[in-house]
Amino acid sequence: MRPNPPIDTRLLSLRAAQRTTRRQFLGRGAAVIGGLALGPTLLAACGGDDDGGTSTAGGTATEGGLEGTSLVILNWPLYIENDDAETSATLEAFTEQTGIKVDYRPEIDGNDSFYTKYEPELSAGRGIGADLVVLTSWMAAQMIEQGFVQELAPGSVPNRSNILPDLADPDFDPGRRYSLPYAIGQAGLAYYPDKVGGEIDDVNVIFDPQFAGKVTILDEMRDSVGLTMLGMGLDPSTGSVADAEAAIAKIGKAREAGQFKRITGNSYTEDLDLGDTWIAMAWSGDIASLRAENEDLAWVIPKQGGMRFVDNMLIPIGARNKAGAEAFMNFLYQPTVAAGLYEAINYVPPVAGAKDAMTPEAQDSPFINPPPTPRLYDFRTLTPEEDERLSRAFAQATQQ
Amino acid sequence: MTTEASGVRASRWYLPYLLLAPGALWLVLFFIVPMFSMLQLSLEDRGFANYTDVITDNGTVIVRTFSYAGAATVAAIVIGYPLAYFIAVRGGRWKNLLLALVVLPFFVTYLVRTLAWKILLFDGGPVVAILQGAGVLGDGEGLLGRDIAVVGALTYNFLPFMVLPIYVSLEKLDRRLLEAGADLYSSPARAFRTITLPLSLPGLFAGTLLTFIPAAGDFVNSELLGSERTTMIGNIIEKNFGKEFFRPELSALSFMLMALILVGVILYARALGTEDLV
Repeated sequence: MRPNPPIDTRLLSLRAAQRTTRRQFLGRGAAVIGGLALGPTLLAACGGDDDGGTSTAGGTATEGGLEGTSLVILNWPLYIENDDAETSATLEAFTEQTGIKVDYRPEIDGNDSFYTKYEPELSAGRGIGADLVVLTSWMAAQMIEQGFVQELAPGSVPNRSNILPDLADPDFDPGRRYSLPYAIGQAGLAYYPDKVGGEIDDVNVIFDPQFAGKVTILDEMRDSVGLTMLGMGLDPSTGSVADAEAAIAKIGKAREAGQFKRITGNSYTEDLDLGDTWIAMAWSGDIASLRAENEDLAWVIPKQGGMRFVDNMLIPIGARNKAGAEAFMNFLYQPTVAAGLYEAINYVPPVAGAKDAMTPEAQDSPFINPPPTPRLYDFRTLTPEEDERLSRAFAQATQQ
Repeated sequence: MTTEASGVRASRWYLPYLLLAPGALWLVLFFIVPMFSMLQLSLEDRGFANYTDVITDNGTVIVRTFSYAGAATVAAIVIGYPLAYFIAVRGGRWKNLLLALVVLPFFVTYLVRTLAWKILLFDGGPVVAILQGAGVLGDGEGLLGRDIAVVGALTYNFLPFMVLPIYVSLEKLDRRLLEAGADLYSSPARAFRTITLPLSLPGLFAGTLLTFIPAAGDFVNSELLGSERTTMIGNIIEKNFGKEFFRPELSALSFMLMALILVGVILYARALGTEDLV
């Protein structure tokens, strides 16, 4: 699941239901693996907790005061086992260990739609009935900038030292004072080798006239523009607005020539699964789900590189159980806990050491453990003015 | 006696208002008030320029939206009128069953119905295979993502809204008028033109409104069955409303959509002369 355009909620619940079904197969397998992984997890977690208790003597995340409290988490679909607190091994273990009940709501269906929905309360300085929300970096940046996020209490998340080094100091939140990554997803290419006549490793195939009408790209500007920039030899993590505009112009021109079957958000998976799309700009989590039942489908991070998105945990202002949210972050940042969760949901863990605690199969998965090359790029954090300028240009180039 | 009667009358003067109140309150609260805030929003940032910008930026989309809605409405009339006529005039004891069949698809949610079309129309699906076999579609040609898929689905999704009002007005039709026409040596075609059709105009008018207006505001059919080449006004609004800086323009776009529909409806009512009929 991924930042997607605000979409009719009926539509989304339908899609979510659809994909949950697809995933159930995967989910069950993962639950077994998760269970295996969780044996040691629980032990480690209990052991780790004693340390946690002493190191959080400051008083925020001590177990005693939190037992019996409840924690409301708003997250994206398919970001926890079974999308369900009752049957999620991770949440169960968390409750068992801390005594904190989790009210888990997989209801975030887009960064923009989340913002649209909750901005009035947040602007008024009120809470939104949630203690922890998960948002993509660019939206996390906006939330922090606008003062909608509470600073993490120093020492409340001792396990944060396990964060992957390259995520520890993002430009929108130096030193991670307000946020911690929840998961890392990738944007790359999904394709049918039998239909395109072999393996693909060049991102520019999406512009190859040979495949006109058989290609879909994403309506998420940062991913489509980022991948296009990589194909043009530009670096989306440092590039200028003019570079991005050049990429948008290229997309617009190809679109006019009929290159793209569709430019869309989550619903690209339907055409891809049906086989109407041969090559799709795609999000890793979706393809991991599709591949569970569709073995013909291949996934590749092109040789020029892929895009990476990081979804971040934030504690919104007005949260009733801030300490509980911090305790959850701390719990998740134990490598063994993270190993179980990310193996189940097929995303890259932001927790160092998590991969080593996974099964060999998971360690081989490009969705969970992408190889160091080709590189994955973050789209540069845009200023509000740049965001507006590029969003307008992108909408103009892709929607008319 | 007289005082009593006038007392009753006086005590009832408020009755119509009382009956109106729930509906009026509902509309004021949930329609008029939001409309005003939308109007306000549509004039934010750059004032009236929002409107002109939105027209120049979305000219193709606006034209496309009304062409789709118009085509779907015409198709619904072409399919729906004969169907309603048949059920009303020839339905006999099957009437209720036939009407139930018209409404039956509505027992399935809108989205599922539309997604079902996707399974039917996709490139590897049965419909494309048949059409390719018949030579209607060339090799490698498909249906999804094209005008015809979206217009077809719009027609299908709103067809019952056309059939039912027409049926109601045809059902009420006094057959003796037709017999009288025949007695006066009118051909069946002429009787239809001069008697049946004019008397069914209220139904046709209602059906047209119930089809055209939701079709013009729809975004689901284009989202699921179309592509970015079939973008409608609804899609533009749906896709971009989350971005704060787009909102004034999108509110302007919504207002324009409403205004255009309103003008269209008035012109249509004039042309049909239905003010007296409804």
